[in-house]
Amino acid sequence: MHLPPFFEIGSFEFGKHTVLILLSVALIAGFFLWAIRKQALVPSKGQYLGEIGYGFVRNSLGRDIIGEKEFRPWIPLLFTFFFFILVNNLFGSIPVLQLPTFSHPGSAYVLAGVAYVAWVFIGIKRHGFAHFMGKMTMPPDVPKVLYVFLIPIEFISNLIIRPVTHALRVFATMFAGHMAIMVAAGLLGYLVSEVGGLGILGGAGALFLGIFIFFLEILIQVLQAYIFTLLFAVYVDGALQEGH
Amino acid sequence: MDITGSLSVIGFGLAAIGGGIGVGLIFAAYMQAVSRQPETQRIIQPMLFMGFAVVEALAILGFVLALIF
Amino acid sequence: MTTHIMAASENPLIPNGWEMLITAIGFSILLFVAVKWIVPMFERTYAERTDAIEGGLAKAEAAQAEADRARDEYNQQLESARLEAQKIREEARAEGEKILADFKDRANVESARITENAHTAIAAERSAAVASLRNEVGSLAIQLSSKVVGESLSDDERSRRVVDRFLADLEQNPTDAGAQR
Repeated sequence: MHLPPFFEIGSFEFGKHTVLILLSVALIAGFFLWAIRKQALVPSKGQYLGEIGYGFVRNSLGRDIIGEKEFRPWIPLLFTFFFFILVNNLFGSIPVLQLPTFSHPGSAYVLAGVAYVAWVFIGIKRHGFAHFMGKMTMPPDVPKVLYVFLIPIEFISNLIIRPVTHALRVFATMFAGHMAIMVAAGLLGYLVSEVGGLGILGGAGALFLGIFIFFLEILIQVLQAYIFTLLFAVYVDGALQEGH
Repeated sequence: MDITGSLSVIGFGLAAIGGGIGVGLIFAAYMQAVSRQPETQRIIQPMLFMGFAVVEALAILGFVLALIF
Repeated sequence: MTTHIMAASENPLIPNGWEMLITAIGFSILLFVAVKWIVPMFERTYAERTDAIEGGLAKAEAAQAEADRARDEYNQQLESARLEAQKIREEARAEGEKILADFKDRANVESARITENAHTAIAAERSAAVASLRNEVGSLAIQLSSKVVGESLSDDERSRRVVDRFLADLEQNPTDAGAQR
């Protein structure tokens, strides 16, 4: 399933995955630096495009969820999350590249880990360790007896399941989407070459299935990048908020 | 023709039903709420995704278990 | 078929350490670029644009204020001009009245003077008339009565006495008061 690595240094395999990560960094940084190079008040087309992308992350993910007062320091992180995941996911739908980087679990773990550390850190910094733990594990307005059950459940749900699902959501959808296209392609090849005859009709069906899955994948790739960043913003907002 | 594969994948399929229904309900309720009172959208939206994440966690756990066993 | 797609025999959930490292490095580079350049540049552009728009608004507001001020000033000038005109009119009217009163006064004085003169003249003429009348009436009466009583009254001394008595009678008699005027 994987291409062989281009070259190896010890146990480090310099493969397609590595190339794509570096390519995505170069693409994103290059595009946005190019778009904003003039900092014109009346944007050119390129700058306008960059501003749409940046403004989307800034306003609908940052300002609307984290809130007018607190969102500014979080813009770089939100921006990096969103576009890093978006571009790497879209690599899965670009012919030749054809590998969503996050279908390799390591990448997803790293990003979710960064997000987890960031929001737990800011929560503890803002509220102190004990208060933050109380906030995370003790929902307010609940009869005291219920805390016996609620504290473990909330602890597991908020501090363990959250980062795990955060990572696995993007990984699983990318992995499964990648796999689904491969299954459709494999089915097409199998029906046409091995069955033949009437199987070629079935192959046409498999082709349509593959094309359908391909476009569905594009939708899911964009959506997953959005959801990952949005959930990060929601977690940060929850950690920053006063009250429960 | 032999059918090979992992039984746990069927289990994941079953587990995904619950998550699918739950996520569908959450978004249906969200749309109703927002169409009734559009000005509450910004308050509801974070809660929507919080609940969505929690519900979908079950389906994702099913996926993990399907791959582990 | 299945085996050939799921060629990855190892569990797909187990990450490759090098992949994690390279992802972390890529992410850090991108985050660094975002913190250092992309976000500040975009934010600066946003801020400048906001400034420009708000600056334009402020300029328009200043122009509006200027216009308001000019209009106020104009109105004020108009008002003061109107007051001025009213004052001038008022003064003119007062002046006119004063002049009128002055003339009236002067006319009164004049008429009083003329009346006075007339009175004086009338009195003088009257006294002259009285004097001449007395002489003539006396001599006429003497002549008449001398013709009536004869030569006895030709004596001057006596005749004057008679005339005097007669005139005194005339003056004392209230019924003859009308003839005196």
